[in-house]
Amino acid sequence: MRQTDMTDARVLQLLETYGAWPMAWPEEEREAAEARLAAHPERFADALAEAQLLDAAFEAEPMPEPDSSLAARILADAPQPRTARDSLGARLTRILMPNGQRWPAGAALASLGMGLFAGYTASASSVPATYETEAEAVVYAALGYDQYDTYLEEAPLDE
Amino acid sequence: MAQSALVNRHMPVVWRVAFRMLRDRQEAEDVTQETFLRAWKMLPDWEGRSKFSTWACTVAINLCRDRMKKKAPVLMETLPEREAGDLPPEQALHQKQAGARISALIDALPGRQKEALTLSALEGMGNKEAAAAMQVSVEALESLLSRARRTLRQALAEGQEE
Repeated sequence: MRQTDMTDARVLQLLETYGAWPMAWPEEEREAAEARLAAHPERFADALAEAQLLDAAFEAEPMPEPDSSLAARILADAPQPRTARDSLGARLTRILMPNGQRWPAGAALASLGMGLFAGYTASASSVPATYETEAEAVVYAALGYDQYDTYLEEAPLDE
Repeated sequence: MAQSALVNRHMPVVWRVAFRMLRDRQEAEDVTQETFLRAWKMLPDWEGRSKFSTWACTVAINLCRDRMKKKAPVLMETLPEREAGDLPPEQALHQKQAGARISALIDALPGRQKEALTLSALEGMGNKEAAAAMQVSVEALESLLSRARRTLRQALAEGQEE
């Protein structure tokens, strides 16, 4: 708003409506209203004083705060975001132990991993052309063969 | 996490708006939780919608209005009086008492005026956002605000004269 468009009546209305603090006034009128107020302070002195008194009362109004546990309770209701890419270990675990980690399954996994690793290091250094099982392929991926990692990227494995 | 940031940023405002409308901490929590439950459902399709704060306050205000319909209306005649044990006038501006006094006066305002004052004067919302949250025009918001402030000014002045 141009300063020439601002009127005394509107400045008084702003004081009465939004209070004495210019930051509370509508942004598009703020500059023009402040200029008019500064140019003719005597015209607005009473309204300004009344507005300041009420603003001071608002300042004294205690700011209530929510219970500290409310945020956690709200977040507990929030949907779980899908992770873009779990860690390799997490994906490996989910493939091999879809019902969760259990010791017998964990032992089987460890045995399988050690066996594959020993076989790999003791024999041919080439990677098999095809993977026989999903588990075997994942272990190869864990050993650094990116071919399978690409598969994991393209097909995120959800429960 | 984005959800955590969203809650930390907007939940206190939503709760305060609800609390100031309902004056009941538990009810304000219920309203806040319900507001965010709705938000979780809406967020996947949020594109192009209003600011989250505006939307959340609109939902919270509507929930509060529903709850307040079930309560007995607070009339201006029930405006709380200063208690006999109050400090004398020269000490009446003591922070705590002044705060309690203005809280009581705001509570006694008609619902829409209280909403407008809460969003604009107490939560510092801009006029357009406050009007949008209340689903009224800026002109209507200004009318509510000026009436609210006039009532409060008169009540404070009368309190000073006693």
